[in-house]
Amino acid sequence: MNPLAIIIDCDPGIDDAIALLSAFVSPELNILGICTVCGNQPLENTTRNALQITELGQRIDIPVFAGCHQPMLRAPIHGQFHGKTGLGNSEFAAPEKQAETQHAVNFLIEQCEAAAESDQPITLCVLGPMTNLATALRMKPQITAGIARVVMMGGACREAGNRTMTSEFNMLADPHAAHIVFSSSLPITMLPLDATHQVILTPEHVAGFVNIAGRISQPLGELMAFWDRNDPRRYGSRGGPLHDPLVIAFLLAPALFSTEKARVYVECDSELCMGQTVADWYGKTALTPNVDIVTGVDSEKVFALFYELLSRYAEGCP
Amino acid sequence: MSKIRVIIDTDPGVDDAIALWLALASPELDVLGVTVVAGNVPLEATLKNACKIVALSGRTDVPVFAGAPGPLVREQVYGKYAHIGAFSHELVPDTASVPPQDEHAVDFLVRTLRQAALDSDPVTLCVIGPMTNIALALGMHPDVARGIRQIVSMSCAFTALGHRVPWAEFNVYADPHAAEKVFSSGVPLVIMPLDMTFQALIGSTDIEYLCQHGGEPGKAIAALLAAFDRTDIKRFGRDGGPVHDATTIAWLLQPALFSCVAATVGVEVSGKTAGYTYADFYRKLDTTPNATVIQSINESGFFSLLKQRISHYGTHEGIHTP
Repeated sequence: MNPLAIIIDCDPGIDDAIALLSAFVSPELNILGICTVCGNQPLENTTRNALQITELGQRIDIPVFAGCHQPMLRAPIHGQFHGKTGLGNSEFAAPEKQAETQHAVNFLIEQCEAAAESDQPITLCVLGPMTNLATALRMKPQITAGIARVVMMGGACREAGNRTMTSEFNMLADPHAAHIVFSSSLPITMLPLDATHQVILTPEHVAGFVNIAGRISQPLGELMAFWDRNDPRRYGSRGGPLHDPLVIAFLLAPALFSTEKARVYVECDSELCMGQTVADWYGKTALTPNVDIVTGVDSEKVFALFYELLSRYAEGCP
Repeated sequence: MSKIRVIIDTDPGVDDAIALWLALASPELDVLGVTVVAGNVPLEATLKNACKIVALSGRTDVPVFAGAPGPLVREQVYGKYAHIGAFSHELVPDTASVPPQDEHAVDFLVRTLRQAALDSDPVTLCVIGPMTNIALALGMHPDVARGIRQIVSMSCAFTALGHRVPWAEFNVYADPHAAEKVFSSGVPLVIMPLDMTFQALIGSTDIEYLCQHGGEPGKAIAALLAAFDRTDIKRFGRDGGPVHDATTIAWLLQPALFSCVAATVGVEVSGKTAGYTYADFYRKLDTTPNATVIQSINESGFFSLLKQRISHYGTHEGIHTP
């Protein structure tokens, strides 16, 4: 079977880094490019971090494109759990690899137009604020013809928010961009906190990954150890939710996830509820459902998948 | 004296057409490009109109770029004459072909303004439609704002009430989020609000003059103003209709025709009064003014300038590509 053509739009970010490292060793995925955006860290850092992770994963063949330096309208906010650099306490050498000169938005438009032309639409994996995709959609709405699906991590439907009472970080960081994507005609698979809070990376898991991840064991272990929220009241145990990597797991093994279909609305007016994602579970609005919301995850099998994936770094590949 | 480098972002539109012909007949301005946005009519029509306007001026050296086909966040609204669509051949004849460039208007703005920032030679933006293209460009790279000398924007209603809806001027109403992005960008703003544009009404004598002396563009202006008459005696108390957008170009050419005040300008982006704009004329806010708000215009001086420049199209030499 042909590998799935994807673009990963992200803001590394520790969980973004784990997602990238997982995707790098998946021959089922053809990663056309990595786009970066202002999010967990300012654009300069997320871009540098993406470059460093491609070097760590020995996938410098994948081009990296720097995207938007600020949300569409709101002032930038950054993540609170990613350390000073965005990659915890890990110390990576300054990357030798450079970002491409093309802007991420132009790369998205160009790839989607080509995909529409050849009738081989692309799957977009959005792991950060949705600024790049929203900007591309506003410049050239017809690129939807080149997009098979958006698989994104973000939002909180029945679950409470993680940055404010109501809102998940990626949605709060650029609610207008999220609104643009969610009100487009694109098919969307959403991995909200409802899903990601079912997959807690515990210290025991981290020890397990350190044992199997071969040449990336040490940096991976450091990244994962930094991710521990140490908040059993919220998460039921030590550890942190494996947000962004779930997007990659979903692409590789959708059977491990259960979804419910609903229209999703994003609040971008109320300061109190800014960035809240509201799912129309019971058809209270007139619009057709456009989002497959992941509400169930087979956590054990997902961890088994990640163990298997990341053990590939021990085999001298890729 | 070196020319003023300017990009005109527009949604033609009758008064946009007059603004473009005024700019293209003015040797003080180096028009680097015309970027087009949806607004008065859908993008397809504004683009077609922009190409025809530039073609009719004879300035086929000026590139035209298609931009955003709709606003950032709100649902699309068009101008009062949206049903007309593109100008008919009878109103604005098709002459030399000016096809739109392949490059997207936002990409042209980003490319030109980043280069301008690098060269420390910032460009003036004349923004006479909804501000969608400018907002998108500002979001792409921090150097875009640094490459803008000033944004001269026909937008807002302060002491005047709105025209498309009671609370808002059309260009802001059509994309209030884009206006918010532009107003908060830190770029120096010159705002030409309805308060001022309602003070300069073009009457039949001036229209007749333009028709007689202004060559093809002059005839087209007369035909457009006849087809889309903006006379509103009940509102303005006298004959004649405003030519809003053209005042931006006039300000670049002869700022002495205008009086102004510095003020903080802001916009309501959502709710029932989305697109409502305020100017803090009496310094009630603890903010540094972000805009120069134009308050009055010398009406006869403005129309003298317009007639003088548009007459260039009617002279034997016409307008030549520099």
